[in-house]
Amino acid sequence: MTAPMPDREQILALAAQAGLTLPAAYEDELVAAYANVRRMIDRLPANRPRGDEPAHVFVPTKFLPTEN
Amino acid sequence: MDLHIAQPSAGTDDLATRGITELAPLLRDGKISPVAVTEACLDRISRYDGAVHAFIRVTADRALAAARSAEAEIAAGRYRGPFHGIPFALKDIIDVAGVPTTAHSRLLPADTPIAVSAPVTQQLEAAGGIMLGKLGTFEFALGGPSWDLPWPPPLNPWNTDFLPGGSSSGSGAAVAARFVPSAIGTDTGGSVRWPAAVCGIVGLKPTYGLLSRRGVQPNTFSLDHCGPMTRTVRDCALMLAACTGHDPLDPGSADVPLPDYAASLTGDVKGKRIGVVRNWYVPEATDEVVTAVDSAVEQLWALGAIVEEVTLPDIGDYSDCKTLISTCELFAIHAPDLRTRPQLFGAKLRQRVIGGAFVRAEDYLQAQRWRTELVRQMLALFLRYDALATAGWLSTADPASPEAADFFRTRRLVTMPFSLAGIPALVVPCGFGAHNLPISLQIAARPFAETTVLRIGDAYQQATDWHLRMPVLH
Amino acid sequence: MADPTELSLAEASRLIAAKKLSPVALTEACLARIDALDWQLDSFVTLTAERARADAKAAETAIMADGPVSPLHGIPYCLKDIFNTAGIRTTAQSKLLADNVPAQDSVCQAKLAAAGGVLLGKTATWEFAHGGPSWDVLFPPARNPWNRDYSPAGSSSGSGAAIAAGFALATLGTDTGGSIRGPAAACGIAGLKPTYGRVSRCGVIPNCFTHDHAGPLAWTTEDVALLMQVVAGHDPQDPGSANIPVPDYRAALTGDVSGLVIGVPMRWLADELPPKPETSAVFDAALSVFKDMGAEIRDVDLPPLRAYEDAKKIIAVAELFTIHGADLRTRPELFGASLRYRIIAGGLVRAEEYIQAMRARTDLARAMQAAMATVDVMMLPTAEPAGKLEPIDPETLFTKLSYTTAFNVGGNPALSVCCGFAGTGMPFSLQIVGRLFDEPTVLRVGDAYERATPWRDRRPALLARETA
Repeated sequence: MTAPMPDREQILALAAQAGLTLPAAYEDELVAAYANVRRMIDRLPANRPRGDEPAHVFVPTKFLPTEN
Repeated sequence: MDLHIAQPSAGTDDLATRGITELAPLLRDGKISPVAVTEACLDRISRYDGAVHAFIRVTADRALAAARSAEAEIAAGRYRGPFHGIPFALKDIIDVAGVPTTAHSRLLPADTPIAVSAPVTQQLEAAGGIMLGKLGTFEFALGGPSWDLPWPPPLNPWNTDFLPGGSSSGSGAAVAARFVPSAIGTDTGGSVRWPAAVCGIVGLKPTYGLLSRRGVQPNTFSLDHCGPMTRTVRDCALMLAACTGHDPLDPGSADVPLPDYAASLTGDVKGKRIGVVRNWYVPEATDEVVTAVDSAVEQLWALGAIVEEVTLPDIGDYSDCKTLISTCELFAIHAPDLRTRPQLFGAKLRQRVIGGAFVRAEDYLQAQRWRTELVRQMLALFLRYDALATAGWLSTADPASPEAADFFRTRRLVTMPFSLAGIPALVVPCGFGAHNLPISLQIAARPFAETTVLRIGDAYQQATDWHLRMPVLH
Repeated sequence: MADPTELSLAEASRLIAAKKLSPVALTEACLARIDALDWQLDSFVTLTAERARADAKAAETAIMADGPVSPLHGIPYCLKDIFNTAGIRTTAQSKLLADNVPAQDSVCQAKLAAAGGVLLGKTATWEFAHGGPSWDVLFPPARNPWNRDYSPAGSSSGSGAAIAAGFALATLGTDTGGSIRGPAAACGIAGLKPTYGRVSRCGVIPNCFTHDHAGPLAWTTEDVALLMQVVAGHDPQDPGSANIPVPDYRAALTGDVSGLVIGVPMRWLADELPPKPETSAVFDAALSVFKDMGAEIRDVDLPPLRAYEDAKKIIAVAELFTIHGADLRTRPELFGASLRYRIIAGGLVRAEEYIQAMRARTDLARAMQAAMATVDVMMLPTAEPAGKLEPIDPETLFTKLSYTTAFNVGGNPALSVCCGFAGTGMPFSLQIVGRLFDEPTVLRVGDAYERATPWRDRRPALLARETA
C-alpha cells in the first residue's frame, strides 16, 4: 500500500468527505495524526493471495435471542 | 399462446434424467453401473451443452476412470453410501486437484492444474461421487452475466433466450438440463438460490460454516456459503450429508453435531409454525410469481402447517448492508490485480469491485453494526416460528441479452436477508410463468436447522409435481 | 489487628469467613484511608460511601447468619469508571459523559455484587480508556502511590493506584493495548488481562471492540485468581464472549513450577525494544528465580513487535472513530486533546486498509499461538518502571512500541506481577503470558513467583494531608 501520501489539501478534502469539517485549530492535529496512521498503513503487507482472511469470524448462532 | 411445455421425467429410460434417490439403490444393488450413468450424462452434455454452455470444462476421462473405480468397489461389496457412483459437477471457483480453476476469468491461468482439492470436492469424491467437470459462473462469482469473458455465459435450459440466474449459473443450468443430477454452487447474496429458482430446481444455502469454504475462490469472507443443487429435496439431503463436516482450517467452519438429513424427511409438517414474509414479495414480485408463491404457501397450510404473515424490514436494507460489506472485502481481495492489470477483468466484475476503493472503514464497521441489528431482529422470530417462507425470486429468468438493462445493479434481492443472517435457506420449484420459466418458493429456518427446511420442502414436493418436469433441449 | 487495608483480598477473605474481621470495620477503614490520603492520588472520581456502608452491613448480617457466599463477600472493591453501575454516574472521565447515569449494571458489576462485594466507588481512567494522561477532561489524572509525582500508567490508572494505596482490596480494569498491565506494573501490584472473551464486556464502555478485555487488579496473584472466579464466564449478550467452562482458578495455585518451559522473545528484547540495563538485569533475576524452581528458559520466535503494534493501532483507530464519530463531527471540543488526537485520523482509514490490518492480525495471531504451543508460558518485562506524570507526546502514541499490545492482538492471557524496585522507588514488573484460556497456568506461575520473592512485603508510604 504505497500510494503517494496526500498533501494537506487532500487530507482536508478526505476529511470533508468523512463529514469532518473541523475548526482550524484542529486541522493541524488531523494532518499530523493522519501522517502517523498512514505510516502504519504503508507498512502493512500488501499483495496478498485472494483467500487470506481477515481476523473476523461470523458465527450465526450468536445472534439468536437469549432467554432474558 | 401457452408455451408451457411440461414433460414429466417419469417413464424415461435416460439414466441421466434420474436423480440420486432413484439411482442409489440401483447402483448399490449392481442393477446399473456407475459407468453407464456417467456415460449417459456425458452423452447428454455432448448433445445439448452446445446450446446451454453450462460447462467450462468437461473432465470426461477423469470421470470415466472414477466411474470404473466405483463400479469395481461396489461389485467388491465396498459400497460407500447413497452418493456412490453419482455424477456431480462444480462451479468453476471450487478447486479440484489436477484440474484448473478458471473462475470464468482471464485473471486465473486457464491451464494450470490445481494441486489440492477443496474439502467439498474431497468429501463428495470420498463419498463415491463422480466429478464430471467445472461449471460456468459469473466472473469470480460476481461479474456477470458477462459476454466479454473467455467463455460464454450459461443459458437457461427451459428457454435459451433467457438466462439461468447466477452467479452459480452453470450449476443451475446443468442440473435443470439433466446433465448431472447434482452440483455444488456458492451463495453470498443469493447465488445458489437465484439459479435454482429460475431453473426450477432445488438449491440450498446451508448455515454459514456448515460446509467448508476452503479451496473456493472468495467473494465475501463472512457471507460465502457452498450449497448443493439438485432436482429434488430428497436428493439435496443425500448430497448435503456427503459434504458437511468441520474443517479446522477454515476459520468460519462450524463444529456442530450433524443430524441424519435423510431421516428428517418424514413428510410431516403438521403444527410447524411458518412465518410468511409477504412484504418481501408483495407488491414487488411479478403477478405470476405472487400467485404461484401464495399458492405454495396455501399448500403448506393444507399440509397442516400453521401459517402466519410476518413483516420484516424492506429487502433494500439487507441488500444495502450486505453490498457495503461485500464491496469492501471484494476490493481487498482483488486490489492487487486492479492495481496492476485492471484490463484483464470483465467489465462487470471490475465495475462491481472498484467502488470498494473509496469506502471508509467507519462505513464498513457501521454496516457490520447494521448487520448485527438486522440479523438479531430476524432471528428473534424463531422464538415463535419454526420457519420463514417467502418467494425464491421476485420474477422469472432475465432475457439473455447483453444490451438489456443491467438487472443486477437495480435489482432488489429477496435472497439477501437470509444471506446476511447466515441461516439455512432452501428454494423449491412452485410453478411456471410465461415463456416456460420456473417460479420458486423459499424456506428458511434458524441456524443449523437444515432438517427443518428440508422436511418442509420435501413435504411440499410429495404433494406437488413441479420438480418432475423437465425442459426440452435442442 | 494491624491495619486491615493492608490485607490482601485472600487474607481478608479468610478472616471474614472466620468471623475475625468485620466487613463493616474493613469498609470503614478503607473509607477513612481514602478520605485521609486520596487527596494526593485522585484515584477515585466517584465515592459511593453510603452504598458501601449499606453493602458492608448487609454482608456482615448475611455472613453472621450463613457464612460467606464467596471469597469476595464483604470485600471492598472499586471499578474503573467505564464499567456501568446502575444509578451511579459512569463518565469514562469525559465531558461527553458528565451526566451519564446508567440504568443497568454491567455484567461484571452484577457478578461482583451477587458475590457480596462492597462497592466503594469509581476510579479514574484515561478518557474513554484511551486518551491520557489528560488535564483537560472531567477529572484530574490519578497519581502513583509510590511517588505522587510519578505516573500510575493507564488507562486503568485509578484502579492500579487504589489497590497499591490500600484504598480497596479488589478492582476491575480493562486492557486494550496494556491498560490493566501497565497500571499493575507501575503500581507494583498484580493485574491480569484474561483471554479475549473470558470476561463479559457487556456494560463496559468500549474502547475498541476487537481488542477490549475486562480483568482484575489486586495486591497478589491469588487475589486476582479469586476475582477471576467471580467474573469469568460465558455471556451470550457479549458477541465476543467465549463459551468455555470456567476452571477452579484458586485450585490451580499449587505453587509447583518444576519443569515449566518458559519462552522469552529474545529478538524483541535484543533488537526492537531493548529494556534499559537495570530493567534487563531485574528481568534476568526474575528468570533465575524460576530456573532455581526447576523451570527451563527457551527462545521463542515471533513476528516483529512493530507488526503487532501497527495492526492493533490501525484496527483500533478505525473502530474508535466509528464509536466516537458522531461526537467528533458535532462537538469535537468536548474531547480531551489527547483522545481527540489519537482518534481523529480514524475517519480517513479506508475499509480496504482496515481489512488488510485484519488480515495481518490473522497472521500475527496464528504466529503467536504457534509460538505458545512450544512453551508453557512466555515471559518478558511488562514495562519500564514509571516515569514522571506528565503529558505524553502525541506522536509517540502512534510510534512507540510496547511489551503489552502483542497479547491483545493474540488474545492470550497476560499477567503482570511486581519483580523489584528501582532506585526511584518505582516498581519493576514481570509479564507472564499463557496459552488461550490457560489462565490457570499463568496464575500458578505468578503466584509461585510472589511466594518465592519478598516484593509483596513492601507497601507505598502515603502522606497524611497537610493541614492548612
